[in-house]
Amino acid sequence: MSEIQLKPIWRWQWTLIAGIFLLIVCAVAITIGPVQIKTIEIIHTLLGRETTLSDQERSLLIEIRFPRVALAALVGAALATSGAVYQTVFRNPLADPYLLGAAAGAGLGATIAITVARADFYPSLPIFAFIGGILAVIATFLVAGRLYSDPGSLLLSGIAIGSFATAVQTFLQQRNSEVLRPVYSWILGELTVAEWSSVRWAALYIFIALGILFSVSKILDALMLSDEEAFSLGVSPNRIRIIAVCAATLATATAVSVSGLIGFVGIVVPHIVKRLTKKATNRALLAIALFGAAFLVLADLGARTLITPAEIPIGVITAFIGAPFFLFILRTRSKNL
Amino acid sequence: MIKVENLSVSYGNKTVLDSISLEIPTGTWTSIIGPNGAGKTTLLTSLLGMNPYSGSIKFGEIEAFRDLKRNIAYVPQRPQVPLGMTVREYVTLGRAKRDGWGRERREGKARVYETLEAMQLIGLQDQQVTRISGGELQRVLIARAIVQEPQIILMDEPTSALDLHHQIATLNQIELLKKEGITVLSTMHDITLGAMYAERIILMREGIVLLDGNSSSVIHSEELKSAFDHGISVHTLEDGHTVIVANKMRIEEI
Repeated sequence: MSEIQLKPIWRWQWTLIAGIFLLIVCAVAITIGPVQIKTIEIIHTLLGRETTLSDQERSLLIEIRFPRVALAALVGAALATSGAVYQTVFRNPLADPYLLGAAAGAGLGATIAITVARADFYPSLPIFAFIGGILAVIATFLVAGRLYSDPGSLLLSGIAIGSFATAVQTFLQQRNSEVLRPVYSWILGELTVAEWSSVRWAALYIFIALGILFSVSKILDALMLSDEEAFSLGVSPNRIRIIAVCAATLATATAVSVSGLIGFVGIVVPHIVKRLTKKATNRALLAIALFGAAFLVLADLGARTLITPAEIPIGVITAFIGAPFFLFILRTRSKNL
Repeated sequence: MIKVENLSVSYGNKTVLDSISLEIPTGTWTSIIGPNGAGKTTLLTSLLGMNPYSGSIKFGEIEAFRDLKRNIAYVPQRPQVPLGMTVREYVTLGRAKRDGWGRERREGKARVYETLEAMQLIGLQDQQVTRISGGELQRVLIARAIVQEPQIILMDEPTSALDLHHQIATLNQIELLKKEGITVLSTMHDITLGAMYAERIILMREGIVLLDGNSSSVIHSEELKSAFDHGISVHTLEDGHTVIVANKMRIEEI
């Protein structure tokens, strides 16, 4: 068999590069801020060794910088991966947690939880957000009907459903002015108040969702074919589609519950990674998750350092990058990769 | 042998296949012909197990489409061509049933390589599958079917997107498969080509089988003409080949 010179289909070098890139970005993000902390001190703190940091600096590092970077990385990984999965499942390069209405639906679900059910903010919030998100995706899918793989149709129905969900959310906020402030600050993004407790439960849901998505990522190849072809290759396409959409929506809903509405990550990162790796998105899912994490850590770094001492909402940063990129994708999608 | 008995398929209130019974012997090429809406593609996808049906489909003595599906490869009329996949990766998908999704076993790799070589696709193996021509894609689809090592290949209009030269090249390739003992079942709009290559023809209209027999008897039958509302005429050439052409005047009347 030595004459067979075929390159392996699943390659890991981009995943490795993404992992190293994420580590570097995290190190930089932890270092930079109003109080500069040397990288070596960060490493010593992480390893539990003696450092020259004051108690205040140590507390800043452990209680503020670490959880904030960790949360940004988790949210970035969740949004990028779910975007890539939606794009594969709907065979649509413009599918994205936000454009599908999933994020707005999740926002509505969480708002209902806060205003009507008076739920505690944390652990139960992603459950409500998930229910809202999954209902919104189903509605978008149904409105688009048989044209769901046509980018324009899916996009328009996603926008309609998303706008409706946002309208209901705004109405609920107005009717419940006593919780307006917490809801509003949550919508703008909560990375500013990241705590270890929120990191822990977000990590739980996001790891479950991403674990499911990584485990089915190779079978997602079948969803890039027609249903007849998938079926002839031994796959029940609808079963895989449901599993993938539910897991991607759980990841999105958790990201929304913890960080509010941060757009475009799910479309920018998968497309960049696809161009780098020349691979279908489901074949580079881990690299997409790692690059997504790095992207949002960088965006958050920009959000808190560009106009110090003030902060720019992180969603504004991602939109500044994402909106022109989205238009670029729209212009070039006919050229494939 | 594939044995179909009283196969009926309905979509809502519409009966698409109505009590179809037929037998397809192993190692033969059977062509399903008939006007649009006859139920040809539904018959193929029913054999794949895609549609809920009543009746029975047996492969050998085994009922249940799951076992049938394992031995069947399918070549679609309109494939969904994925972005970001090379020709070799696309063909390798055909190994998923045997080797697992995303896995490349030694034997599977060798099979893919041999098939790419046999189908003259080695030079294209690293090309994106979205960037190849219609004729090349048809060869790639057949290669993906071959690597599955199937006992039965179902082909939905395998020549519909091809020019004449590529139609013949593709059909010759399918004929080689039949010679290897694979049972071929294809739908064909081009009755002339269907009769030229397949030894058996199943003539369908409105969900029922009008005629099932050897190619020569079916194309010279009155049922064929009536299935197409006498909009076709059958001509035998000097060399003995039969050509079926659309009857323009009659079609305009219809």
